[in-house]
Amino acid sequence: MQKLGPVTARIAQMRELVRDRVIAVDAERALNITESYRKNLLVPPIIKRATATYDVCSKMTCRVEEFELIVGNLGTSFLGSGVQPENGFAWFYEEFDGGKLWVRDENGVYHRDDMGTKLSITEEEKDKLYSIRDFWKGRTVSDHMDSWYPDGYEEWCAIGASSYFPGMPIGDLPSGHLTAGYPKIIDVGYAAIRKQAEDWVDAHKGNLMGADVERYMFYKSAILACDAATAMIRGYARACHQKAQGCPEAARRAELQKMGDGLVWISEKPARTFWEAVQATVMYQLLLYMDARYPALAFGRFDQYTWPFLKADLEAGRITMDQAHEIVDAFLLKANCFYRAAPPFLNEIVGVGNTYQHTTIGGVDPDTGEDASNPVTYMVLDSMGRLLLHDPTISIRIHRNTPEDLWERAIEMTKLVGGLPLFQNDEVIIPALVERGFELRDARDYSLIGCQEIVGSGNDYPAPNGTLCKATIHYGVILDMALNNGTNPFNGRSGALKTGYLYDMQSFDEVKAAMKAQVEYFLGWLVTMNNYSEHIAMRESPHAALSISIEGCMESGKDCVCGGAKYNSFGGTATGLATVADSLTTIKYMVFDKKLCTARELYDAYMANWEGHEPLRRRILNDVPHFGNNDPYADEQMKWICDVYYNACGRMHSERSRIYKAGLYGAADHVAQGAHTWATPDGRRTGEPLADAASPAQGRDLHGPTSVFNSELCFDHRHFLDGIALNLKIHPTALRGAEGAAKLRDVTKAYFDGGGMEVQYNVVSADDMRAAQKDPAAYHNLVVRIAGYSAYFVELSTRMQNDIISRTENVL
Amino acid sequence: MSSDPAGTIYDIQGFSVQDGPGIRTTVFLKGCPLRCPWCHSPESRRFDIQLSWQSRRCIGTAVCGLCLVSCPRGAIVPAEGSQSTDTEDGLQLIRVDWDTCDDCGLCAAECPAGALSMWGKRYTVSEVVDRALRDRPFFEKSGGGVTISGGEPLSQAEFTLALLRALKENGLHTALDTTGFAPWAVVEKALPHVDLFLLDLKNMDGRAHNAAVGVPNQPILENARGIAAAGGKMQIRIPVIPRFNDSGGNLRALGKFVAELGEAVTLVQLLPYHALGVPKWERIKHDGPILEATAPSDKKIGELKAILEEYSLTIQVH
Repeated sequence: MQKLGPVTARIAQMRELVRDRVIAVDAERALNITESYRKNLLVPPIIKRATATYDVCSKMTCRVEEFELIVGNLGTSFLGSGVQPENGFAWFYEEFDGGKLWVRDENGVYHRDDMGTKLSITEEEKDKLYSIRDFWKGRTVSDHMDSWYPDGYEEWCAIGASSYFPGMPIGDLPSGHLTAGYPKIIDVGYAAIRKQAEDWVDAHKGNLMGADVERYMFYKSAILACDAATAMIRGYARACHQKAQGCPEAARRAELQKMGDGLVWISEKPARTFWEAVQATVMYQLLLYMDARYPALAFGRFDQYTWPFLKADLEAGRITMDQAHEIVDAFLLKANCFYRAAPPFLNEIVGVGNTYQHTTIGGVDPDTGEDASNPVTYMVLDSMGRLLLHDPTISIRIHRNTPEDLWERAIEMTKLVGGLPLFQNDEVIIPALVERGFELRDARDYSLIGCQEIVGSGNDYPAPNGTLCKATIHYGVILDMALNNGTNPFNGRSGALKTGYLYDMQSFDEVKAAMKAQVEYFLGWLVTMNNYSEHIAMRESPHAALSISIEGCMESGKDCVCGGAKYNSFGGTATGLATVADSLTTIKYMVFDKKLCTARELYDAYMANWEGHEPLRRRILNDVPHFGNNDPYADEQMKWICDVYYNACGRMHSERSRIYKAGLYGAADHVAQGAHTWATPDGRRTGEPLADAASPAQGRDLHGPTSVFNSELCFDHRHFLDGIALNLKIHPTALRGAEGAAKLRDVTKAYFDGGGMEVQYNVVSADDMRAAQKDPAAYHNLVVRIAGYSAYFVELSTRMQNDIISRTENVL
Repeated sequence: MSSDPAGTIYDIQGFSVQDGPGIRTTVFLKGCPLRCPWCHSPESRRFDIQLSWQSRRCIGTAVCGLCLVSCPRGAIVPAEGSQSTDTEDGLQLIRVDWDTCDDCGLCAAECPAGALSMWGKRYTVSEVVDRALRDRPFFEKSGGGVTISGGEPLSQAEFTLALLRALKENGLHTALDTTGFAPWAVVEKALPHVDLFLLDLKNMDGRAHNAAVGVPNQPILENARGIAAAGGKMQIRIPVIPRFNDSGGNLRALGKFVAELGEAVTLVQLLPYHALGVPKWERIKHDGPILEATAPSDKKIGELKAILEEYSLTIQVH
């Protein structure tokens, strides 16, 4: 095993700052966008939004720190965040008006740190944000959607079985879950993209016929987006040049001068060097962050689009490998600065302490299908390992010819930081994408975003969490309703579909029919609301800054929100289906097959949240076969519910897309969903987490990873192109030495050969975690991963910590 | 001989990565002729199926109490004094009167919580083979297979031999984790079907060996020589037990003996004593003295490893 080299002093300094980060919220972006909107109130949204982006980017504070070699900031501070009032910003005022979350310290600074990501704001910035509150009333994107609803929405949403909740804005987040076209930005540059738009505009001046008006406005917005980028990057160039002037140290002065010169260049032109390629990637990411609060903007195949530049630099003797590695360190640390102020409910669902800038490495070459790993692939793994970073999420694409060295390094990283990288199987994913209409070349170029979602790189508007991030219906609640005549026992609310009571069902087939009907009913509603809000979003919230890089948009003159991308899809996820499967197995085993209790007894017991029925609950936990143990009796129900869900998805479509993808992932949502899900027949109590993503229910897989893998293969992974998250916790003793690492590699290879799509390993012990609960300071570096994301353990809520501990350890 | 003999097994463990090469499934057979006080699997010693009582899982007699009425011999009674509330919840627990209990299993069948359960279950050879074959892709990818462990698997000779044969017929790699205490005739029959013996050697001093574990070491050493002479392959496993076999003299004698076995020995493993087995004793009827000691230090293990290395052996510390 290769020893990881040391980092430079300035990287170490930045690492410390990032680890102890408090995100300073400021009002700069909010005030600038408000001023812009005030001036352009009645301008068509596609132009108004792009103009606002230009105004924000040309007025923003640009800074460079002593220790930085990659620049870019979300707010006016090094670790800051502006805010986005234009989609919906009520949460901020509600938090302050509520007066509980933010605590004022003796210096007049407010702090919010109950949810892990620490935020602060000064009195002055807070007052500025209050000054624009009234302006945005009735003017946000969500206000346009929330002013009117399709019939029956309010009743359906009140049931509490989906991402829609009464009173919650339905359009407060744009889709944002995608891989933008970083290679295009780097290889083509803003000036050339702008020229393409300008040429069309010039050619059509005074001659807009048919659908030309829409195209004209799109190209005008594209010009504004390019100008916004150029203005912003020039701002950073000025900051570097100014810093250089005052710099006493010759080498750093030269470096800053060179950074400034490079920024001037990439503000319009294609990158020339590895540094420029990396800096241009970060600048484009920043442009998008200035444009809107897109959640989960992934970096795509970073090793693929930057390596040609490094290769050329190395060949020309312009750079050393150590220097290149420092740039990769700086890039990953910069990504860690991009935390944004967000409301607590988002933290609860997606987990805290994650920027969701999923980065994909490894995999195959789009043209040849041969292994595409390169020195940057290894640098990313080593940087994450030597900096002990849990973010950004790294996915490594595995295929038949993945080199042994790369396997070794990836497992080494798993051992160091726990849970990263995610292992993704090209051999399953690429053919499945081709089956779904991707050209082979594009399928081979896929990347991962968000938690797990599979998307095209720079050519896809995939909306994998729905077009406005309302990803899911809650399958635990739906199960409860299916067995309770369509009434949610958690809140007594009823849906329109009545499917009878468990105790009246005469056969297991009747139980399954009830569940299937409710799944289809709820999914239909979820997609209905998605399609309604997307219809509004197409007019109110086009994304020029994104569209300039997404293949298809500039060619067709259509924004990606309106279907301009080469590939279009949307989708969602079903987290915790193992809880549903185990519940169905329980009914089958206890009531119909073994007749150990009656349906009435079982119903009464879990409807009482098992109170007074502990012996029955324990009997279920101990005797009933559970998913994850390679027991066909239990696995049959998992396959059944996965198929029901997948087939229901097959009937969904929208104005923009024929394809609605199914997924089995969910970050921390299994905890949030569990909190408002009544007890389930599998012995789970009210409020306890559901099973996590595609994993077996917590603590119920008792036979180690090979049995879990065999169980997971009971359903067809190719059906779940929105991604699968299988989270396996491995005791460190299973990984001792080179031999242990080889065994983890081999068990993964065998799983992937069998058709497994994804796995991530969490290498920690329960004792470590209990110790960490008692002494957080001493375990600050303890990184854990929950399906699709990882975080510092000590930053998680106690409930989530306990959830992780309760997962089965693969003890030896 | 039955065509599908049954044996008593107390655990089958998948993803077993420390009992032989690759990823393995380890089958733990119940029953052992040795009585090692440091045994970390005390549930493996008796040959018959026996009761286990785990207070941590009990839900208390207030809501349950099914076991109290299930026992025809009155061997289960409410616990008294300091043992009555072992858990944080302050539940009224039970106590097993081990002298009265005859391991009939009626209480375990009633217990919904798995607090009372039975160690040991009868499996036929084909049941075990079916179970193992499910993990075949993992064995093949990693060079793994099936390890038969115990207890002492050669004590259930008919079952173990039939199982080994069946595993080999299915093309699986086999390892036999054994104390080596078995008649040569049994070892000889196993030999053609065992790809690798994991053989425990404890103490070269026969008197000390006999005094501590209740059987002489001579048959074990003879079997080791026999396996080597017959061309079998062995990993020698040496448990390092404080004040029993951790002297330099014993390690030298072991080193010399193992070196003489020649190329038959592919690896020597040092298994430092650990106390993880101690809590298991609390769960079953005691049947001998229990050693509770401090685990040997890394320094001590390093010294012992150095001694063995003087004999040109490949040493691995577990």
